[in-house]
Amino acid sequence: MIRTWKIASAGLAAAVLLLAVGAAGAKDKVKVGFIGPLTGGVSVNGIGGRNSADLAVKLRNADAKTKYEYELVVLDDECKPNVAVQVATKMSADKDIIAAATHYCSSTAIATVDVYHKFGFPVIVWGAVLPDITYRNKYPEVHRVNGTMINQNDANADLVSKLGYKTVAVIHDTTDYGKGHNEYFSKALAKIGNAKIVGTFGVTAEQQDFTAELTQIKALNPDVIYFGGLTPIGVRIRSQMDKLGIKAVFDGTSGIVSDAYIQGLGPLAEGTLAFREGAPTEKLPGGKFFMEKYAAQKYDNPPEAYGAFAFVAMDMILDTIEKVGPDRKKVIDALGNVKDRDSIVGKITFDDHGQNTVPVITKYVIQDGKFVEWDASEYASGKRKLPGQK
Amino acid sequence: MAKAVDKAGSTRAPLWPGLAAVATATIYLMALLAAENQALIIVLLGTGITVVLAAAWLRLLDRASHSFADHEDALGGCAVLAALALAAFFHEDHFVLLLIITVLLYTVATLGLNIQFGYAGVLNFAGASFFGIGAYTSAVLNAHTAVPHLVVLVIGGMLAALIGSLLLLPVLRTRGHYAAVVTIAFALLLKTFLEVNDVLGGPQGLQVKGMKIFGWSFNDNIQIGKITLSFYINYYAVSLLLLIGAFILVRRLERSWIGLNLDALRLDETAASCFGLDVVRWKITAFLIGNFLIGIAGALFGMVGGFVAPNNYTFADSLLLVSILLLGGIGNPWGLIVATMIVVVVPEKLQTIQEYRFLLYALMVIAVLLFRPEGLLPRPIRRYFPGWQP
Amino acid sequence: MDVGLFAQYVMNGLMLGMMYALVAVGFTLFFGVLDIIKFSHGDVLTVGAFTALAAFAGLHSLGLDSKWLDLVVMTVLATGVMALLGMLIARYLVMPLRSAPALNTLLITLMLGTVLRESVRLFYPQGANPKPFPALLPKSSIDLGSFNLRLDNVLMLVAGSLVIVGLQYLLNRTKLGLAIRAVAQDEETARTMGVNFTAIVLITFAIGSALAAFAGVMNGLYYNEINFGIGLYLGVIGFSAAIIGGLGSIYGAILGGFLFAGLQTIGTVMLPFASAYKDVFAFAVVIAIMAWRPTGLIQEKISERV
Repeated sequence: MIRTWKIASAGLAAAVLLLAVGAAGAKDKVKVGFIGPLTGGVSVNGIGGRNSADLAVKLRNADAKTKYEYELVVLDDECKPNVAVQVATKMSADKDIIAAATHYCSSTAIATVDVYHKFGFPVIVWGAVLPDITYRNKYPEVHRVNGTMINQNDANADLVSKLGYKTVAVIHDTTDYGKGHNEYFSKALAKIGNAKIVGTFGVTAEQQDFTAELTQIKALNPDVIYFGGLTPIGVRIRSQMDKLGIKAVFDGTSGIVSDAYIQGLGPLAEGTLAFREGAPTEKLPGGKFFMEKYAAQKYDNPPEAYGAFAFVAMDMILDTIEKVGPDRKKVIDALGNVKDRDSIVGKITFDDHGQNTVPVITKYVIQDGKFVEWDASEYASGKRKLPGQK
Repeated sequence: MAKAVDKAGSTRAPLWPGLAAVATATIYLMALLAAENQALIIVLLGTGITVVLAAAWLRLLDRASHSFADHEDALGGCAVLAALALAAFFHEDHFVLLLIITVLLYTVATLGLNIQFGYAGVLNFAGASFFGIGAYTSAVLNAHTAVPHLVVLVIGGMLAALIGSLLLLPVLRTRGHYAAVVTIAFALLLKTFLEVNDVLGGPQGLQVKGMKIFGWSFNDNIQIGKITLSFYINYYAVSLLLLIGAFILVRRLERSWIGLNLDALRLDETAASCFGLDVVRWKITAFLIGNFLIGIAGALFGMVGGFVAPNNYTFADSLLLVSILLLGGIGNPWGLIVATMIVVVVPEKLQTIQEYRFLLYALMVIAVLLFRPEGLLPRPIRRYFPGWQP
Repeated sequence: MDVGLFAQYVMNGLMLGMMYALVAVGFTLFFGVLDIIKFSHGDVLTVGAFTALAAFAGLHSLGLDSKWLDLVVMTVLATGVMALLGMLIARYLVMPLRSAPALNTLLITLMLGTVLRESVRLFYPQGANPKPFPALLPKSSIDLGSFNLRLDNVLMLVAGSLVIVGLQYLLNRTKLGLAIRAVAQDEETARTMGVNFTAIVLITFAIGSALAAFAGVMNGLYYNEINFGIGLYLGVIGFSAAIIGGLGSIYGAILGGFLFAGLQTIGTVMLPFASAYKDVFAFAVVIAIMAWRPTGLIQEKISERV
């Protein structure tokens, strides 16, 4: 009987001690958010971004010197503007969430900027490339770490002209993303003046059947088909091109830089061109560090093209909260003064619209089922030839 | 069961069961909406279901519904007070207010559907499309004209009724499943039309400017002394007024000779026309009034959310409105309120089932159709004479 | 427009029309036998396509890679399982509601369609994403001028026509077909004549659902991709096609299917701004036809008991 009492009281003391230690060492919890397309055709990018943001939070929480303990709240925007507005409203309306890394799809990012401004919620965009997102309004809440599509379309038009192609047909999706690509590519191509656009076709983001557009394109017989849109329709268009016997070069944008494009097409993906701002993840200043830490967490999916930027966005948010505390207004003020801050993608500076400049544009061609840099590929050296390449 | 006998000698049910029902419902809602912890929410929901089932078994629900039937005006007033109490309790919480506003406006839309379907038996599987027409009206008018916003609401309703009248000829001439196909085809047609039409924003949708009445902007938080009220309170007030108006309209309509005509024509069209009822005229009236209500609700909801896109108004959303109607009990406005709350609030609170919500709704409706086709709160027998008890 | 281009458009239209016709025939069969519209037909098509995909994945993991074997097994499995599903739906959801107002059956099948669609989206691994469908037919093609004639399209057209002809044969030349037609014409008399009503209804549902599965596999082979939403779209079009042709008539359903595809192709060719308007155009024509002929192009003879 006495023995039982002794054991019980010892156990109670231990429990109280543990609680005390726990309470003494407990940090305040702070919530940060992440929004990306976790379901739907571009989900691999969204999941890669989410894992990267999660990595940033985990690394920060493992550091005992931080002032706060962070919790990541994840919401899915399904790459649909209306869903994005709903989840953005939900996240911004929750006063506990201080800031968020948001959006891969440009159509969703441009739809939600007004929501973030309405609620005074600071966000850093990690994957959307439409310039209007930061440049249409001067909202202090909206920032972006990745580049805009202007530079990649300049490089695109440049390569197409250099390779000696004369006629280009443009297919773009009818969201602001596709329309933006169409606008900037057309301008860039017209400025160089070597090639001309023989036809422009707008398609819906969920369109299944492109035989109508492609039959008309076949009649126009262009050298290159430029595609401004995302991976799911890219896959469909490329495979239906083959069905109709169209032998033009398929020239895409950052929207198709994704393993899902290669998986969806198999051997048909060979010889597709694509462009992206930012160096490939391995070549970034902090690329090796990022890849090592990412692999150590054993996520199911790779970080994909924009994972590194999602990591940087979340990291910046955490840095800022550590410095000024969990207050939305203070975070907005602090993010207004970012100059030459170090990060794994290089130095980050936000201009007066919250936009970071990413000078490097990577040119890709798909060779043997992999995205290979153009200059290092066998197409550039002449060993293989794109359709119609001189 | 003893009943109070009033001066005229007729028996009327006492007031207190209805009051008790309204009070318990309000407190339950407050608890459910305030709870954040998932386990707590599941417990609350479980308790709620058990209490309702127990009440049904103990015949308490019958008493409450009798009391509602007899003292409708007084209890309606109490329900309004309850809504105001909810607003006061959650005056700072953006998201909860938004949720309740959604419930209020969906109820108005379903009331419109009720007039068409529950009273006149006219099938309308394009409810969400008319909702969308109202929303797009407010988007376009707010952005490009200076029409006062209250008038915009009315115009939204009228436009929905007007476009609905395009469908009149096919709807009147067809019966049963043929009639269904007309509205389904319209729902798909409208969504595709909105998506491919750049003038109305295409798939990117349109931003809607917030409401402004006599210079009072609805999108700013209200400061009264030290208390900050969420800006959604403004919209809450207008939505509540709209719901009260729609509810009174529907009730009066049902009790009047118009309602009698509609019921006759739903139950047996041949017999009704034999009795001299102008079937065509009443079907048109029901269809147009119903669409008008749906349009007004849509116009207001567009301003609340600040964003309209074709993806918000798909065929699946129309089916959602029909499910609410079937669940709540066709023809019973009180049942609609309960069903809307279940359909809108529960998935938001129970995050784990968010993804499964369409599946669950469909399963619930199938269960209801198989086992209790009258719905949760079946429509009570018509009162032919005032003060008469069936 | 040169002949080659014209031929290309015609080929596109024929392929689409074949798929729509297969779905429309299913609708017409169900209506003929039970006087109901089974709105979940389109989603049965989706489930069939995904079953075929799952079968393919299964076969691959077992190491069986022969294209023809895969194709045959996938088709048989998809049609078989869907036939079973169709029978279950008939037995437990449709037949019990025969005495209820027709509206309830309509609503229940609409909801069932939603259940099937959402189940695929939620329970098939990564169901929300579009999934590549294996290209199992030979890819050779002949270039006739600017018209690219592909062998797999021709094979699919031939297969589809064979199925429809086979169905006609079944209905017109066999005893089973006779029983089905008898039940469609007059249920009570057929029963008096010794026809097993329940069995015939189940068999009809099985046949219709198998047709849907076949159309689903065809869809997958044609586009090399399936996603959980194809059923809704094809279902509504198939239904509109069946209605245009007049419910209850197989010829009408086939006619309706090709007519709808023709409408879409004409819309594409004639409307210069966007071929996306082709759906708007086609649906608008459907609504107009319903206003003009409320029971379809081939009139249904209804008598109403007062």
